[in-house]
Amino acid sequence: MFKRLILEDSSAIYVITAFVTAATIFCTITWRALRMPRAEVEKFAQLPFTTDADERHDPSA
Amino acid sequence: MPGQKITIEYNDRVVRQFLLATLIWGAVGMLVGLLIAAQLNFWQLNFALPWLTFGRLRPLHTNAVIFAFVGNMMFAGIYYSTQRLVKARLASDFLSALHFWGWQLIIVAAAITLPLGYSRGKEYAELIWPISLAVVFIWVVFAVNFFWTLARRREPALYVALWFYIATIVTVAMLYIVNHLSIPTSLLHSYPVFSGVQDALVQWWYGHNAVAFFLTTPILGIMYYFLPKAAERPVYSYRLSVVHFWSLVFVYIWAGPHHLLNTTLPDWLQNLGVTFSLMLWAPSWGGMLNGLLTLRGAWHKLRTDPVLKFFAAGVTFYGMATFEGPLLSIKSVNALAHYTDWIIGHVHAGTLGWNGFMAAGMIYWLLPRLWNKPLYSTALANLHFWIGTVGILLYVAAMWTSGITQGLMLNATIEHGTVLAYPNFLDTLTTIRPMMLMRVVGGTLYLTGWFLLAYNFYRTIRGAAPVNGTIEVYEETPNPEARLSLARAFFSAPTLFAVLGVGFATLWMLGTDLVSTAGLVGSLACLIAAYALIPSRSKAWGDWYEKLLLNALPFTLLTFVAVAAGGLIQIIPTVLVQKAQNVEDRIQVPYTPLELAGRDLYVSEGCYNCHSQMIRTLVPDVLRYGDYSRLGESIYDHPYQWGSKRTGPDLARVGGKYPNIWHLRHMEDPRAISAGSNMPTYPWLLTHKLDASVLPAKIKVQRMLGVPYGPLSAQQIFDSADDQAKGIAKDLRAAGAYVAADTEIVALIAYLQTLGKSVPVPPKAAHP
Repeated sequence: MFKRLILEDSSAIYVITAFVTAATIFCTITWRALRMPRAEVEKFAQLPFTTDADERHDPSA
Repeated sequence: MPGQKITIEYNDRVVRQFLLATLIWGAVGMLVGLLIAAQLNFWQLNFALPWLTFGRLRPLHTNAVIFAFVGNMMFAGIYYSTQRLVKARLASDFLSALHFWGWQLIIVAAAITLPLGYSRGKEYAELIWPISLAVVFIWVVFAVNFFWTLARRREPALYVALWFYIATIVTVAMLYIVNHLSIPTSLLHSYPVFSGVQDALVQWWYGHNAVAFFLTTPILGIMYYFLPKAAERPVYSYRLSVVHFWSLVFVYIWAGPHHLLNTTLPDWLQNLGVTFSLMLWAPSWGGMLNGLLTLRGAWHKLRTDPVLKFFAAGVTFYGMATFEGPLLSIKSVNALAHYTDWIIGHVHAGTLGWNGFMAAGMIYWLLPRLWNKPLYSTALANLHFWIGTVGILLYVAAMWTSGITQGLMLNATIEHGTVLAYPNFLDTLTTIRPMMLMRVVGGTLYLTGWFLLAYNFYRTIRGAAPVNGTIEVYEETPNPEARLSLARAFFSAPTLFAVLGVGFATLWMLGTDLVSTAGLVGSLACLIAAYALIPSRSKAWGDWYEKLLLNALPFTLLTFVAVAAGGLIQIIPTVLVQKAQNVEDRIQVPYTPLELAGRDLYVSEGCYNCHSQMIRTLVPDVLRYGDYSRLGESIYDHPYQWGSKRTGPDLARVGGKYPNIWHLRHMEDPRAISAGSNMPTYPWLLTHKLDASVLPAKIKVQRMLGVPYGPLSAQQIFDSADDQAKGIAKDLRAAGAYVAADTEIVALIAYLQTLGKSVPVPPKAAHP
């Protein structure tokens, strides 16, 4: 089954298939990201700051 | 509804410990790097001592800066940011301490064994099997601690930095385990289960993705947390970070074969490597732009804030290095750049610029917070930045110039491409010496900057009390509707379409006749079905995706599936094709016991760090080194020794090129044979006795791995080695050199003299 991989020069098909597969995934994720609600995007983007106001630095035991 | 209010004290002790370790191991790793850079200029700095030679110290440098320096930095950043992003203390203080001390013990063990010559002979994977096992164990400890912490989180949403950490943990585990699969021959030695082209592919699947998932994805997570914090504004585009993550994770894993272009690696794999490498431009630059644009409105702060200076420059170097990587993956560019200093310059733009500067920025940001005291000197931190930047630029410019010069000279031909313009390899070395010296200057400046950081670190924490961050949060009952079971994660339309689509496409690519046709039909059916269902199912699929982002375990497993696919599709066919009955043209002859012993010495001395054993399918390579290497000519090499750099010439066909006495004199004093050489001397090989007692165990393991050794008894193995050694010693004696037959040099000569001595494949075996 795999023998033609080293015996035949059929590599163009791999490049095309690989590109189409990756492009499909890229487009799907981009579409999903663009459709994220603005409120949700802002909530996620603010996550690193949600504990800032409360955090204290106490001497460790 | 909010529940009881509780106070959480973060485990910042372990963060401080990892930060200190980063500082110390960074200095050690870079100091070793500086020494080996100087050794290339001044061979005397090898001191004719086995444990100080370039071949043994270069693995120490690479392992130290990757696993000790960046590893400790990564753990500090991950532990600090994860606790805050999930509003929970690290799950286990014991596991945190075990992780820290276990990792340091591994580093110390590596720092002892590598200079002593205990090596697996694969780049960045040199650690002997007991230490490799310890790495896997400690990595599991890290993973358990991390995922346990996620399970106890009080913030249901997973910020994108955590996605990058998750991808790091699962992918590094997979890569490390597969590339370290070995069968021990003793407590300190093993042979990898893969050989030849399989081993090369697995090695660079690992090696390339060590860069991707050890040096890049965790640091991107750190960027997405610390850069907004330092700039005091959220990431420029969270949407872009989502695209950045998924496209990077999916694409990166496929690009490994670009390290093996123009070699005997099957062409389809080379083309896949090039294609995916070029596609990496998009996500990498998306990430870089997202990082830099986070500084919008805060650029003025760069004038005074060293943290932002380091982050901005670090992200810029990430962009430059990830532009250069795909460029170097183009076959014609690679033909010039591969095996030269250009690659060294590319790697160091990434490590010094991206990893080193992100580490420095993170340390300067954390110091005042972890010790509750202002940074001792902002001016010193600024000075560190400028010295480090000049150091990197000198280093990288020197290596670019050196590499392109090397490539042009080694590939130059005259007489219509039939004669080499510079047939003497040493002409190139002589030409690039000024650039090699400039690298030492650049490296010294960079290390000076690091010592300034160390001084600033020390003065900041001196007399200061370490502090742990605390916050008050409300215990909340988890929302059962947000839960996504594993079954729903896997047996859902998006997952099934993705898995089946890639699976059918793989069958289409790799199969023949009916299998290939079925693959093509299946791929099209998946595409059409998915497209047809979008109008009616898109909301349900969207809800499924939103839930996935709140459920760490399904998210982790699907990320693992995405990264594993790339490796499996490349490796499984290669493992299956590399069998003796599939090989055409020429096939390797198994090493005699003495040659095998010599090969193990070659690996132990780290000769692969400077000499390749792969004549590429390029005219200048063939003119210089002989007929191009065949797939079957390294089929029994555990590990493969194709190498990645030619500080010295290729050795694939050196066997029989020179007499035995030439090799002896060359190892004893390279400059006596090759004037101007920078190779270390190896006088100990002429006196150290060869340990032949281990040969039966080694040949037993080789046989288990499929090398066709006959049923040799231990005595027959000893007799064979003894007879061959006496023959070589006799030949040396006739040429005027008196060396005992049982010395290491004799075994090494036996090995070197067999390189390239393959035999034609019988027609029947080639076409069964």
